[in-house]
Amino acid sequence: MRKTFNIGLIAFAILTYLTLIGLPTRLAGATQPVLAVLLALFVYAVLRGPARETGMGLGQLLQHGLLIGLVAGLLLVVEVGFFNSLLGDGVKIQPVFDQIVPLNMAAMLNVRAGTVLNGEVSPIAYAILALYLALAGVAGGLLVHFTRSGAAGSMRGVHIPGTRWFTILLPFALFAFIYYLGLDGVTTFGNDKNIIRLLLVLMATGSGLFALRAAHAGLEQLIIGALLAVVLLCLPFVLNQFQNSVMNIVFIFVMMGLGLNIVVGYAGLLDLGYVAFFAIGAYVYAFVSAPFSSPYISALLTGMGISPQSPLLGYWSAIPLAMLTAAIGGVLLGIPVLRLRGDYLAIVTLGFGEIIRLFMLNLGDLTNGPRGLLQIAQPTLFGVAPAALTTHLDAQGWIFLLAILGSAVVAFVAIRLNDSRLGRAWVAMREDEDVAQATGIHLVQTKLLAFAIGATFAGLAGQLYAARQVNIFPENFSLFVSIDALALIIVGGMGSIPGVVLGALALKGLPEVLRGVDEYRIVTFAVLLIVMMIVRPEGILPSARRRRELHSEDAELPVDEDEQLEGGHA
Amino acid sequence: MAALLEAKGVTKVFGGLTAVDAVDLVIERGSIASLIGPNGAGKTTFFNCMTGLYRPEKGSIHFDGHSLVGQRSDQIIGLGIARTYQNIRLFKGMTVLENVLVGQHVRMKASPLGAVFRSPFQQAEERQAKEFAQELLEFVGLGGEGETLSTNLPYGDQRLLEIARAIGSRPQLLLLDEPAAGMNPRETEEMIDLVHRLRDVKGITVFLIEHDMKVVMNISENITVLDYGKKIAEGKPAEVRANPRVVEAYLGPGVLVDTSGGLEKKGEKL
Amino acid sequence: MEKQALSKLFIRLFGVVVIALVVWRVVTVGIAEGYPTSFWISQGINGLVLGGVYALVALGYTLVYGILFMINFAHGEVMMIGGITGFFALQFAAAQGWMEGSTAVVVAALLFILIMGMLGSVVTGVTLERLAYRPLRRAPRLVPLISAIGASLFLQYSVLLIFGVSPHSYRKPDLISGGIRTGDVFIPYTGLIIFFASVFLMLGLYLIIQRTKLGRAMRAVAEDKDTAALMGVNVDAVIVATFVLGSALAGAAGVMLGFHNTVVKFNSGFIPGLKAFTAAVLGGIGNIPGAMFGSLILGMIEALGPSALGIPTEYKDIIAFSVLVLILIFRPSGIFGEILSEKKA
Ligand SMILES: Nc1ncnc2c1ncn2[C@@H]1O[C@H](COP(=O)(O)OP(=O)(O)O)[C@@H](O)[C@H]1O
Ligand SMILES: [Mg+2]
Repeated sequence: MRKTFNIGLIAFAILTYLTLIGLPTRLAGATQPVLAVLLALFVYAVLRGPARETGMGLGQLLQHGLLIGLVAGLLLVVEVGFFNSLLGDGVKIQPVFDQIVPLNMAAMLNVRAGTVLNGEVSPIAYAILALYLALAGVAGGLLVHFTRSGAAGSMRGVHIPGTRWFTILLPFALFAFIYYLGLDGVTTFGNDKNIIRLLLVLMATGSGLFALRAAHAGLEQLIIGALLAVVLLCLPFVLNQFQNSVMNIVFIFVMMGLGLNIVVGYAGLLDLGYVAFFAIGAYVYAFVSAPFSSPYISALLTGMGISPQSPLLGYWSAIPLAMLTAAIGGVLLGIPVLRLRGDYLAIVTLGFGEIIRLFMLNLGDLTNGPRGLLQIAQPTLFGVAPAALTTHLDAQGWIFLLAILGSAVVAFVAIRLNDSRLGRAWVAMREDEDVAQATGIHLVQTKLLAFAIGATFAGLAGQLYAARQVNIFPENFSLFVSIDALALIIVGGMGSIPGVVLGALALKGLPEVLRGVDEYRIVTFAVLLIVMMIVRPEGILPSARRRRELHSEDAELPVDEDEQLEGGHA
Repeated sequence: MAALLEAKGVTKVFGGLTAVDAVDLVIERGSIASLIGPNGAGKTTFFNCMTGLYRPEKGSIHFDGHSLVGQRSDQIIGLGIARTYQNIRLFKGMTVLENVLVGQHVRMKASPLGAVFRSPFQQAEERQAKEFAQELLEFVGLGGEGETLSTNLPYGDQRLLEIARAIGSRPQLLLLDEPAAGMNPRETEEMIDLVHRLRDVKGITVFLIEHDMKVVMNISENITVLDYGKKIAEGKPAEVRANPRVVEAYLGPGVLVDTSGGLEKKGEKL
Repeated sequence: MEKQALSKLFIRLFGVVVIALVVWRVVTVGIAEGYPTSFWISQGINGLVLGGVYALVALGYTLVYGILFMINFAHGEVMMIGGITGFFALQFAAAQGWMEGSTAVVVAALLFILIMGMLGSVVTGVTLERLAYRPLRRAPRLVPLISAIGASLFLQYSVLLIFGVSPHSYRKPDLISGGIRTGDVFIPYTGLIIFFASVFLMLGLYLIIQRTKLGRAMRAVAEDKDTAALMGVNVDAVIVATFVLGSALAGAAGVMLGFHNTVVKFNSGFIPGLKAFTAAVLGGIGNIPGAMFGSLILGMIEALGPSALGIPTEYKDIIAFSVLVLILIFRPSGIFGEILSEKKA
């Protein structure tokens, strides 16, 4: 009981946190149900384990749930009452807690803001809030009970016929639905069609990954992969400008993620300054495609008798340059940090990322400082802008198409490398550097190759990003780009290529759908990172290898038993 | 017989402790030789000096016409010295087959570009490497385990896998650090047989550290004894066995055979 | 034979060239600019103050790293929370009229603010350890680091959401505004206080680690957790104590920085945190005296570097990170070497 009481206190702390960050203000009328659902899920999460271990009965589950709900609910009521009495007395709480405003408290109690201000909230409103939460606790207990009895059979992977085909066909159904929604005259009953379609696109792309996984290796997988690719390539023509602009960012980050995956996931070199190469790709392309933006280059060209007004290189011919420059950057970063161990490496690379950004900011002559490089040229198709060819493909869609192609190329290279002498060397080095070296792996060369290849991919992504943005500024290349890229490979599953795609969809795509609660994007993400590390460090779609590594302790147990048995027979 | 490896005055110091003290040693090509001595005598440290993990403060080591001191360990395996570790150090997240493939790394040549474009050379090399790995696994008796995760192998098999990984590099000289430690009598017999086959079938010179006197006396043609970092005796098994200094320093008064491999300190490095 | 020796020679040569270039640059700039000595003294004092703050924070990194072998990436935020808590304590004290009272009252109030800030940080640090790090103690090293990155973001943006975007401004009481002026050299009181308080707190920490039972237990845990546990040390308690010590120092730094810079914001722990980590690495992470000297060196470099090299002060961060990189190239385990972490390397 004491423990349950403590859990109630934790639930109260979480509810207080949600109040303090002003969630009720945004949820308005939906506050009480949403809080109740959250509490029920929380109760479910904390009781599920103990219930399985101790075999708690339904009665006990409900008791515990009720206690948690009551503790959290009553304390919350007291807290809200306290804030309300202050507000009613005209005390300004805002200078301390920015979000504690009448609107917030009113949403919490489902009354009008004026009622709070005048101090006229009825006790019944408080009672309802407490009741809501107490019931939510009970509901959580019930949920544990039902999932337990329901899932008991299917726990051990009992095969339900048809689920495999359902998984395989789901993305196609979703894509068809997206196409249907795009037709003129189809409405979504007053909801924002724009957003709904975007959400569906994200879900469809994600479910495509699961479909690929569900397909049997071989011909079936090949066919489904090909079909999915075709559908994906049609998307840019079907979506509108907004949806395309979100999806192209997702896929630009897929390219980044795949590159970083080589450095971190395969070679185990924790690089927190990855944004530097992304920036190099972007700036190189900006320099050659909009030389007039940079005072220095402009003057240089004029001095050489070349007009800085026209691009020096087109998009396609700039690709090798962007990639090469990024690769050189990767090697230059790599050389000094080669001798560093993991943690030092993380921090030094982070420092490098910051140095590059500070240079972009302060080398005003070359980079135009915070005013940025402007009017970067768009990619063309054999010298023609695709918008001139078809009305179905807008500028953002064209970038999306290129991002898909870029991702495909990068994924192809990554897969081939992973399954080669170099890929094995990376993994060996990650697992045990000394032994890897003693097995003949040239550490310097192998690490530099990881840095260079990872940087090349980032350079490619950066170039496309510059074209997408048209104007780029140093703040586009902050530490957060590195953190986003790292986070997406972690969430998706380190070392896993489908994981990268899924991670990018979740981290770069979903927040766009959740535009309304944009302020909460980073905290949600931060909590997600921590919870993920605790609950599922291998990511959502881990590579087979990672899963083995992180769970090798579990896997070892039965084997040890086997060994003993064998020894016994012998 | 010609000397394959010749060490002169090798000395390695840790802080105030001289772990290996002016050791001279010759390994004949095609022989099976042993290095014995009590725990902490400096045997593993000597291996580490030979394979480039440590750089000896003094002395020289010549192998097949090359000087080893100052070379990196990846260069040394390239010259033809491979090894196993006292506290098994496999690549745990890799399968058995992958471990042996990594072992062949130094003999493979395909470039990353070749891998991306699947050049015919790279394809052929990969195929040969896989065939060779399978052959080696069969040689050590793990033929059916290729797809098993290496950590999931039983302890004794992990030692065998380390040997397979080491000979993947087609060494001339193989260093085995306590290969029979922790094995039961049947496994030990098999290990003795394997060491013989390594030399007789594969033509590899073997130099091994071992505590199990049965193994040592059985298979060694030449034995070197270390104590507190110094070489105190060397010669044929019979000579070493009869040497009073060895009996006193190493075997201890009264104890003639120490069969347990569990004497090492827990957590000892290498 | 001597490939390794060659590369070492090359690195040494490179080092000599870098040092020569820097010296040459400093000398030419020194001659060309001709700053008065008082300018250098003032800058030097700024460097000491900065170094004192870095040291307080760097010690937290080093303590935790020494024991858990993890970078507590959120440590800068722990410091920031100290600053924020201190700000509210200051508001409270001001509302009670303590800040206008007699010298004794003001000093007491300042101590109160300092202690509240330290408390705020301690609560944050201990909670972090319990929720975000303890469950990951046996996981591969990357895992807790990522969790720490998550914690860092969480703390920053929670503060932003809860306390709002506007920076929180510390108002110095008259007692500590102003400073000492001798000739052209001006030393702000806050600078003096920071320096001496840092030295005092560090001495305290040093005594705790060297002289107390807790200190001995901490060293035992740093050496080998399992063995320490076998010998009856309560490892969890020692780790919590480590976080308490580190966070308390960071909280003090947060409050003092608040008074010195006059503002605290949700992200004002980030860059100092990064710098402090740099300082800890400079001194050899896990090495306590190393962290202090590394911090002083870094503070000095930041304060004097831009003027000495004749480049704009915006580049001071670049100089700091470049020094870090250079030091690590030549001495991969810091100037003074790692002490506690040698074994797990
Ligand atoms: N990396 C090291 N640092 C410090 N001392 C070491 C190191 N490696 C080995 N030693 C010491 O050197 C001595 C010889 O060790 P080792 O060569 O492992 O002995 P063994 O003959 O049992 O293999 C031991 O006292 C050991 O503690
Ligand atoms: Mg040994």
